[in-house]
Amino acid sequence: MKISDMLQMCFRNLWRRKGRTMLTVTGVVIGSCAVIVMISLGIGMNKAMDGMLGTLGDLTAVTIYNYNYGNSSAEEDKPLLDDTAIESFKNIENVTAVIPKMSVSGEMVTIASGKNDRYKISWTEIYGIDFSLFDEMNYTAAQGEFPKEGMYENAIVFGNEVPYQFRDTKKKGQASYTYKQQLPDGTFSKPFVEPVGETIMLYINNTKKMNDDGSYQYGGRGYEFKMLGTAVLETDPMWETPYSVFIDINLAKQIISDYQRLNGIRDNKPAEYTQVKILTDNIEHTEAVQEAVEAMGYEASSMAQVRQEMQGYLGVIQMVLGSLAAISLLVAAISITNTMIMSIYERTREIGIMKVLGCFISNIRLVFLMEAGMIGLLGGVLGTIISYVISAVMNFLGSGLFGSMMGMQTADSQISIIPLWLVLLALVFSTIIGLISGFYPANRAVKISALEAIRNE
Amino acid sequence: MAFIEIRNLRKIYRLGNEKVYALKNIDLEINKGEVCCILGTSGSGKSTLLNMLAGLEKPTRGDIFINGVNIAKLNERRLAKFRQENTGFVFQSYNLIPQLTALENVGMPLMFKGLPKSIRNKKALKMLKAVGLGDRMKHRPNQMSGGQQQRVGIARAFVAKPNVIFADEPTGNLDTKTTIDVMTLMVDMCRKHNLTLIIVTHDIEIAAYADRIVHIIDGEITSVEENIHAEDINTENEREETE
Repeated sequence: MKISDMLQMCFRNLWRRKGRTMLTVTGVVIGSCAVIVMISLGIGMNKAMDGMLGTLGDLTAVTIYNYNYGNSSAEEDKPLLDDTAIESFKNIENVTAVIPKMSVSGEMVTIASGKNDRYKISWTEIYGIDFSLFDEMNYTAAQGEFPKEGMYENAIVFGNEVPYQFRDTKKKGQASYTYKQQLPDGTFSKPFVEPVGETIMLYINNTKKMNDDGSYQYGGRGYEFKMLGTAVLETDPMWETPYSVFIDINLAKQIISDYQRLNGIRDNKPAEYTQVKILTDNIEHTEAVQEAVEAMGYEASSMAQVRQEMQGYLGVIQMVLGSLAAISLLVAAISITNTMIMSIYERTREIGIMKVLGCFISNIRLVFLMEAGMIGLLGGVLGTIISYVISAVMNFLGSGLFGSMMGMQTADSQISIIPLWLVLLALVFSTIIGLISGFYPANRAVKISALEAIRNE
Repeated sequence: MAFIEIRNLRKIYRLGNEKVYALKNIDLEINKGEVCCILGTSGSGKSTLLNMLAGLEKPTRGDIFINGVNIAKLNERRLAKFRQENTGFVFQSYNLIPQLTALENVGMPLMFKGLPKSIRNKKALKMLKAVGLGDRMKHRPNQMSGGQQQRVGIARAFVAKPNVIFADEPTGNLDTKTTIDVMTLMVDMCRKHNLTLIIVTHDIEIAAYADRIVHIIDGEITSVEENIHAEDINTENEREETE
């Protein structure tokens, strides 16, 4: 028997009982829809999670904190976060950049600007960072441009909230402060100083002499640095940078040593960094790099850990959803078997005639398997189409809800994503389900005795 | 060796603990081109014999040689192949597929052989014309009379050019007039193509068409009767038809 003839026979038989065929197909449609939608939700969740973690921080970054810093009773066995450490980090596999950060604590420096240093900021922490690696931090400038080569030591970058900390020393009380607030026309109120392009002075404090307003007096001639404000950073959703001021790391080192000299502090400890950020070439390598750093005795954190935990958590949700979907597909499979058995009872005579006329039983088996497989495939195709509709509706209706559920405002995120491989998988899988369901009935069909089937009534 | 040789054929059914001898010890030879009638009452074992000749049932003991092949020893697949190439069937209740047209029904044995549709339809149409139903090719079984349906059945039996045709009570559901038409048609076509025709019946009138009548009672052949008038009946009927 030719395949085309068998296919035709199979279609004819399915068409003969249209209603029943469609009902059985509907079962498969529901099952495959459930599976596709559930998996697409899982994919969507994973994507949303990565997107969300991406906004929390760079997924390729490992941050090393120095808990010894500034702590006189430092544990001896903890390794130092110094230049030697930086070099060893650079040798770890898959590391693309090592960015050390050194903090200049708020008591050391006063920031001033304006005519006769009218506007001042006291008690703000300044971070020293290698400006040649500043691009690697993935910060974005809201105003101005990041420092260019050759002017690193005279450049200063402000977090977006820092300018509002400038105080007007010519005024008293409330009038000496500005607050960031939205004006009726939607723009924000202006600080006293807009740093981009302005001359900014850094004065090293003499902590022995305090002014009436609680600020320290400056160290005087030789303890001042003339800077040019170059950029103000974009708002940072993680609140990591808004109150930070960045200068070049070499300048930071000099400020610290000048401060110690001015205030008579003797520190024999070698220069240590407060924080080191290591960038890896790929999200997948982040965890291995973190482990390597921790193996050296440092304390490190990265989004990889969080990501892995959340993935495990999502995996459980997906498994629960997936098994619910699998149950409906199982029910559909049973209904295919049921339909095929009924169909065989109806066609006992026809099967008998086929056998008597010399049809190979392998052909008969194949016809029945084809019918069952066709029900599965048809269910899969319709299920895929309907899944796309359901997915679109869910994405349209539920993105806000889902976004708030994940704790993020991600209006453009998709709850449900159906990639091509999922479609192909669904089609192949539903066809296989059909074939498996048809296996038992098909074997029953070939066992029908030709003799009994054609026996005269 | 005769075209069909049955040797020591025995068939025992088990009904609970009891053995029922459907066929006791059958020896029979049938020649090529012969029209042979197996005559017996219901329960005599005649249908069992036919089923075994067609390879639909395995004998308990004995051999059946058709065209030199012992079909009692063939496996399921080879039997199917054997049926495709050597046998045609005519049934009492026609056994046409209700969803198929006359043309498609006739073409069915060719489909199982794996012939493409165009060739199938050509051969089937030729056969339908031979049984006088060339204008009914698009009709389905329920749109035709019993006689017409049985003609379709005959066309189906002959379409694959078999060596032997088995007919099981072929006119059991037909009236006298149609019975004569159908029998004449069937016997004529066998004679024309020199095919062996084996008819199983309980009807003496039908037996009259055969060259040889095998009487079977309780699973045993009681007598074999040469029917020298067979040709006469046939020519007589033909004369009636032309008149």
